[in-house]
Amino acid sequence: MKTILFISLIFLLVPFQTTVLGSISPFGIRPDLCLVATCLVGFLTGQVHGFFLGFFLGFAQDLFSASDPWLNTITKAGVGFFSGLIAKNLANTASHSAFAVMILFSLFSGVVFLVSSRMGMDILEILHGFPAILLPQALFDGLVAVSVHWAITHWAAETSNL
Amino acid sequence: MIGRIRPLVLWSSGTRRLVVGLVLVALVLLFLLPRQTQFLLQHLGKPVSDLIGVPLTLMADADQRFHDWWNQYVALQDINKQNRELKSKIQELEGKLNQLREQALASQRLAAILDFQEESAMATLGARVIGRSASNWYQGVVLNKGEEDGVAVEMGVITPAGVVGLIVKVASSTSIALLITDPNVAVTGLVQRTRDEGIIQGTAEGYIRMKYIPPLAEVKKGDTVITSGLTGDFPRGILIGQVLQVGELEGNLFQTARVSPVVDFGKLEEVLIILSPRSTENLESIVGALTPKTETPQTP
Repeated sequence: MKTILFISLIFLLVPFQTTVLGSISPFGIRPDLCLVATCLVGFLTGQVHGFFLGFFLGFAQDLFSASDPWLNTITKAGVGFFSGLIAKNLANTASHSAFAVMILFSLFSGVVFLVSSRMGMDILEILHGFPAILLPQALFDGLVAVSVHWAITHWAAETSNL
Repeated sequence: MIGRIRPLVLWSSGTRRLVVGLVLVALVLLFLLPRQTQFLLQHLGKPVSDLIGVPLTLMADADQRFHDWWNQYVALQDINKQNRELKSKIQELEGKLNQLREQALASQRLAAILDFQEESAMATLGARVIGRSASNWYQGVVLNKGEEDGVAVEMGVITPAGVVGLIVKVASSTSIALLITDPNVAVTGLVQRTRDEGIIQGTAEGYIRMKYIPPLAEVKKGDTVITSGLTGDFPRGILIGQVLQVGELEGNLFQTARVSPVVDFGKLEEVLIILSPRSTENLESIVGALTPKTETPQTP
């Protein structure tokens, strides 16, 4: 069941990100749903699952992105692994912790992409990426992550009470 | 606080370690042999992108239908449709006008018919924009034509109005085009009035600029910028945009101009991929027609 969920995520999240999400992006900034999914899976189920889902989601995302064909693969695998590792050492894995972890990894991933996509450019152009893309996307990712985390945990709590 | 959800994949720890080890070896190889692994990743990715291409096309169709429905029946019904048609007509006419202007200038400079045909005769392929690049960091679009249709990396992408960008990735049935507003795209441009050449490049702010304009060039606001045809991706004379502002000399050597693109990248729906900027068949026939024929003596 969960394997099917993982495979579905890999095959549906990237098409959703490239098609439907483009139409509903405020100010032209879209949350990186693949990053959110990777971070949450790592956070909730551990670093190994986070690593694998991140690796394959990143690979699929690289196929439909103009970036280098390995950038998302490595970044997301790393995010999945380390979010799992952080969650393992956290005393509290409530939604606000997920929010903080998501923002942290979105900023990390953003810096990797900023450096990669603006390599060799003016420092002003590089700095422009912070307020224009990096910070709004991190906030957006954090909000999506906290909403999904809240929904999952409430659903899990309710089903366990039944 | 919640309880931790149990692991999803029921692999033994030995298998898991082996897989993690293999992935780590792959990552090390990626850094040691970047070009070879990129080539390998692209080839491995083709079947995967074909599989993902199916839900992507379905979602793009659903998204398009929803948009059509929303625009045509909910938001302003006929007026919006009419407006879109008129805008598209204006863009088409602007493109044609520009081509005509370029033809006239070419004639004035006593350019031969051969040159003109070389510039305008190009093989193109129509493609539909089915999505946006999966990352905010690159301004790209996903097109519904790929390797099977003859699309290759570095082919130019245009609309009847002007230049859109360049193909950077190709799968079997889809391809990714990086827009000209992306800082990673550079195209050779020409100021139509003054015939000064420069490099057109996107900026992080989302507009385009023309770099390396000669210091003595008298470029001014409103000048039209077209492709120069120096690089192989675009023929000469495709409209890029209009000069908005001419900046100061860059390092006292060159001028830089801010250019407003003619294409509205937010509303891209259909594009043309330039399969061959110069049609060699046409070229050969013109060369044949222009070459004086030597009369051969006829035998009775």
